[in-house]
Amino acid sequence: MNESTLFLITFILYIVSTFFYFVFLFSKKENRAKTGYTFAFTGLVFHTAALIWRTVESGHAPFTNMYESLSFLAWASILAYVIIEKKFKIRKAGPYFMLIVIALMALASSPLMPKEATPLVPALQSYWLWLHVSVTLLGEAFFAIAFITSILYLVADAKEKQGKKSNLPSEKLDSISYRCIAIGFPLFTLGGLVFGMIWAYKAWGSYWSWDPKEVWSLITWFVFALYLHTRIVMGWKGGPSASIAIIGFLAALFTYFGVNYLLAGLHSYA
Amino acid sequence: MKSIIKSLSSVKLAIVLLIIITLATMLGTFIPQQRSPEEYIARYGQLANLFQRLQLTQLYKSWWFIALLFLFSLNIIVCTLDRFSPKLKRTFRPRLIVEPKEISVLKLNDKLRKNMDLQTAKKEITILGWFGADIVHLGILTIIAGGIISGIGGFKRSLTFNEGNVHDIPRAEFKLRLEKFETELYPSGAVKDWKSTLTVLEEDKPVLKKIVEVNHPLSYKGYVFYQSGYGWNWTNPSVEIWVKKRNDPSFLKKIELNLGQRIRLDGENIDVAVLQFIPDFVIGEKGQITTRSLEPNNPAAFIEGWQAEEKIFSGWIFARFPDFDRIHSEKETDLAFELKNFKAGQYSVIQLSKDPGANAIWIGCAVLMIGLVFAFYWPPREIRAILEESHNKTEVLTGGVATKSKDAFKSEFEQIVNTIRRSK
Repeated sequence: MNESTLFLITFILYIVSTFFYFVFLFSKKENRAKTGYTFAFTGLVFHTAALIWRTVESGHAPFTNMYESLSFLAWASILAYVIIEKKFKIRKAGPYFMLIVIALMALASSPLMPKEATPLVPALQSYWLWLHVSVTLLGEAFFAIAFITSILYLVADAKEKQGKKSNLPSEKLDSISYRCIAIGFPLFTLGGLVFGMIWAYKAWGSYWSWDPKEVWSLITWFVFALYLHTRIVMGWKGGPSASIAIIGFLAALFTYFGVNYLLAGLHSYA
Repeated sequence: MKSIIKSLSSVKLAIVLLIIITLATMLGTFIPQQRSPEEYIARYGQLANLFQRLQLTQLYKSWWFIALLFLFSLNIIVCTLDRFSPKLKRTFRPRLIVEPKEISVLKLNDKLRKNMDLQTAKKEITILGWFGADIVHLGILTIIAGGIISGIGGFKRSLTFNEGNVHDIPRAEFKLRLEKFETELYPSGAVKDWKSTLTVLEEDKPVLKKIVEVNHPLSYKGYVFYQSGYGWNWTNPSVEIWVKKRNDPSFLKKIELNLGQRIRLDGENIDVAVLQFIPDFVIGEKGQITTRSLEPNNPAAFIEGWQAEEKIFSGWIFARFPDFDRIHSEKETDLAFELKNFKAGQYSVIQLSKDPGANAIWIGCAVLMIGLVFAFYWPPREIRAILEESHNKTEVLTGGVATKSKDAFKSEFEQIVNTIRRSK
């Protein structure tokens, strides 16, 4: 048993979970979704073990290169999903959300991602690495759920306009998107912006340098601030709200991936 | 004046400004910032001039971006104040006597008839929840203020220290001395840490000594000193050379010498000298020998061998390629030379920064987070009820509002109503 075996078991469990969720989607049998959930949850347990294993083995936080950070984001996403599913019963979002998780896991296991744990460069040797990255990615995981429920909202809304009823009504999807953003926004603010500024001040000597990654997390924050203000103050709901939530997640995704590959800057680690 | 205030209190303006600021911020990541005019011409051709005139090449410092932020701050202030006083009143001096009409217009309301005596009305308000958004706005304004203070009063400098160097600190009375600088490596050769032992000198007397590392800066009198870089001092390196004989595997002589130094090889009647050292050897386009960088990626030394006053060989040897040399021999010799090691001083780059806005930033961040927690984890709701007695029965007219999580509040409200309905 080692970390990569645990990772593989996790990956397989997630795939099986996705399979059952899709069976549920087409057969409408609630039990299949429950099986899917059980597999996802078991996967989460193994994934947690894999992350702990890696932390012990490498002696540092399990998110210092792209492989680790993708794996951690997948873990955070499943964690967020398990919480939201327990609370709001959004089984129909399960299959689609699991696809995102599978994509993250597949990217992490791609041969392009170096897997070996390398010793930390001086700038990353700080407990702020734990605080900054884990809280930010957990916030982004909730944005990911809001992204899926927002897309499902747009689909459900279009169907309802044609007179079709669904067991997960658009109104509920709209409300769940909001709840996820209401959880994710404070986390993202704390982890991404506040902890990020504190760490930047300690490591680089200034809390804000207009580095592309900093700027894009600010843009992500602006988009979700826009979501909250249009919704709470101006009473927007439904379609317009869902669209902003989708744009917000895409901005978060660009902050996470795009900036690394397209824009050069200080954040050149992961 | 009134119309200006009125338009500044509009949420629509805030939304529009937020969108414009977001788009402008994005633009700044696609146009590289603060590069040389030549680079912009190479990249954008004729547009370069326009970009520079619109300050798109230093967007985040441009007058129009700062003007946008200023307008946005004003907008936040006016919007927050505008809503503040009615909110205060509503929270701390709520009108407890309400007309039935006022409850009926609330989005959620219900009318029940209960088989019990009149009880007292209860109001349920999470006080701080009402002010979550205002606290968030206060935090953001504090952060913006901190940013302005940093922009005006803050400055940064890079100081390059060789061991033993003393630097005056600009705009301050004290001096700083580098006692020692070391680079720690992992077994793989990757850099683990840089450590600069710094001493603060007040009137040339040491008052404070600290080892500065990445992530562990030194703070003194409002100045913060960071380990920001290092470099090699190639002015006077020394090299270690191993001398072997092609025909005699047991022969090995190790010599260590400085640049320009000439050393006699014991028992060989040959002098060896090192004339040049190049840290990152490369042959340039015109065939000239040069260094690609100041990092020791491909160290090479130019050596000469002399027998009395006759030069017998000269050429380059490479640390990375011991079997490959470019030695030109004037006279037969079976000696072979390997560049085994080199020593050179390293200098430490210490960045000093004085940032008088930083404290405002931390306070702003704390206030912002407190506000967010109140706003999202204790969302405010207000429930009102009128109890009226008629013929020994109680008529309950109740209603409620929530500004956030309205759907969640709806089910909460229904629960409350059902509880009242079921109770006897």
